[in-house]
Amino acid sequence: MTGTLLFQSLVLGVLLGGLYALLAAGLTLYFGVMRVVMIAHSAFLILAAYLAWFFHQQTGMDPLLSLVITVPLFFLVGVGMQRLLITRLRPATLTMMSVLLTFAVALFIEGMIGFVWSGTQRRIQLPYSGASIEFFGARIAVVKLVAFALAALALAGLYLLMKHSRFGQALRATIQHREAAQLVGIKTDRVAGFGFGLGLATAAIGGTALSLDATIYPSLHWHWIGPLMAIIVVGGLGSIPGAAIAAMVLGIGQSLLQVPLGTTWAQTIFYVALFATLMLRPQGFFGGRLAQRF
Amino acid sequence: MSDPTSSPEPEFLLELNDIQAGYGRAAMVLRGLTIKVPPATVVCLVGPNGAGKSTVLKVASGLLAPRSGRIVVNGADVTGQGPQEMLTSGLAHVLQGHSVFREMSVAENVLLGAYTLRDKALIAERVEFVQSLFPIVGERWKQLAGLLSGGQQKQVEFARSLMVSPRVVLLDEPSMGLDPKTTATVFEQVVRMREAGVAVLLVEQNARRALETADIGCVLDLGCVHITGPAPELLADPQLSELYLGGRPAERAPSTDG
Repeated sequence: MTGTLLFQSLVLGVLLGGLYALLAAGLTLYFGVMRVVMIAHSAFLILAAYLAWFFHQQTGMDPLLSLVITVPLFFLVGVGMQRLLITRLRPATLTMMSVLLTFAVALFIEGMIGFVWSGTQRRIQLPYSGASIEFFGARIAVVKLVAFALAALALAGLYLLMKHSRFGQALRATIQHREAAQLVGIKTDRVAGFGFGLGLATAAIGGTALSLDATIYPSLHWHWIGPLMAIIVVGGLGSIPGAAIAAMVLGIGQSLLQVPLGTTWAQTIFYVALFATLMLRPQGFFGGRLAQRF
Repeated sequence: MSDPTSSPEPEFLLELNDIQAGYGRAAMVLRGLTIKVPPATVVCLVGPNGAGKSTVLKVASGLLAPRSGRIVVNGADVTGQGPQEMLTSGLAHVLQGHSVFREMSVAENVLLGAYTLRDKALIAERVEFVQSLFPIVGERWKQLAGLLSGGQQKQVEFARSLMVSPRVVLLDEPSMGLDPKTTATVFEQVVRMREAGVAVLLVEQNARRALETADIGCVLDLGCVHITGPAPELLADPQLSELYLGGRPAERAPSTDG
């Protein structure tokens, strides 16, 4: 592997890791707040990508503008989904049953996308789609940079919201000790609903970022959910910073392994990391103390 | 709801009248239980495991809705309301075990105690007050609460619950898992709360120790109050000592009913 190729892979890995980080943050948030395993997270991701593509196709405007619609829409759908579906599950079997429930939601979304937009592969063509910039000898596509910037901004926003807003404090308190949160006057059911909406909003942003640079089709979400699940287990379930760090490390690893192994085998890094984590440190590498911190 | 500052002091700050409560479809845990706590008084619940002591507190703070019965806090009927409404009526509940927000600083924990308050000056005043009551809270202000020792965490929990300036405080096994020295500190704080005019309802495994601090003792068994009386009398009763306080063997008293 030449130095330039290595550096190029590294940069691409960072850019990919940023998107993984945002999506994994959302996925681990559902688990942290409600002990829900959200299989449909990546289905919403692909749905948002389709909405961005559709928006671009209909209006001719930049797909990034679709965020103005999809982010609040997904937030509301998330709140509704938590209040109307998730809370109907029995608390004792919530985690197990949430897998089935959200699996069904994923299938439903996949079917709806196929029904409305057919199974044809779609791709957004933008004036800057082919543009790239030279960065210390590495060629980086502009769309990848835009996607990364979007993911990074969204993660930074999530961090500020969790760390410094009244809602973020209430959400963290709910994650860390639900009964104690109720006893200081936090309406934990409402907070959990908003937390779920926040998770789906990350899928909206991630999907828009993805649409800039990817060919999309209805069943694409199955390619995403596996790596994302692996990331949040490696990072420690419920830990947002753990998810972000694991996403970055594994994203870079995947990108570097693509050179010698090809794309298919590079994907296995997620599952190797998952097995290694379950054998060596089942609570995740940032579980325990970091798990509930932000 | 009456304004607690303008209305005359009610005779009891907390009244649980004929409460029936339980979890899910399982059998009732509380079966017609009545407990009344006057102002500036420590009432201690004693009884065997499974008597329903913790459930009494959960019902009183709104974490568990009673099937029947009436709850009055500070003169206001709050039956069937959730923890947030109970809190604004002047009731705070310190849970069993450790219930600090572990991955937040002591400061964040204490300030979350004032989550329902908006008045910044009032909050600052209360922070100063709880820091003077529990010096460790001020000393460890910036540290992560989960890294403090068990006794220090308990004091953070006390401080957090006092931020709303409650008239009624429910304490569930405040000495559990603590060494004797820290236990002494905790009971010292209970006495201080009473001195501050707070009504305290206390549940303790260490019943003898608790009754030495309390004014009134209630012996709970099978979801009912069996015996209520001044704490020193309960302590002196040889039959009670034998049955509930793990005490010395003594000759049977003729009757302890009523």
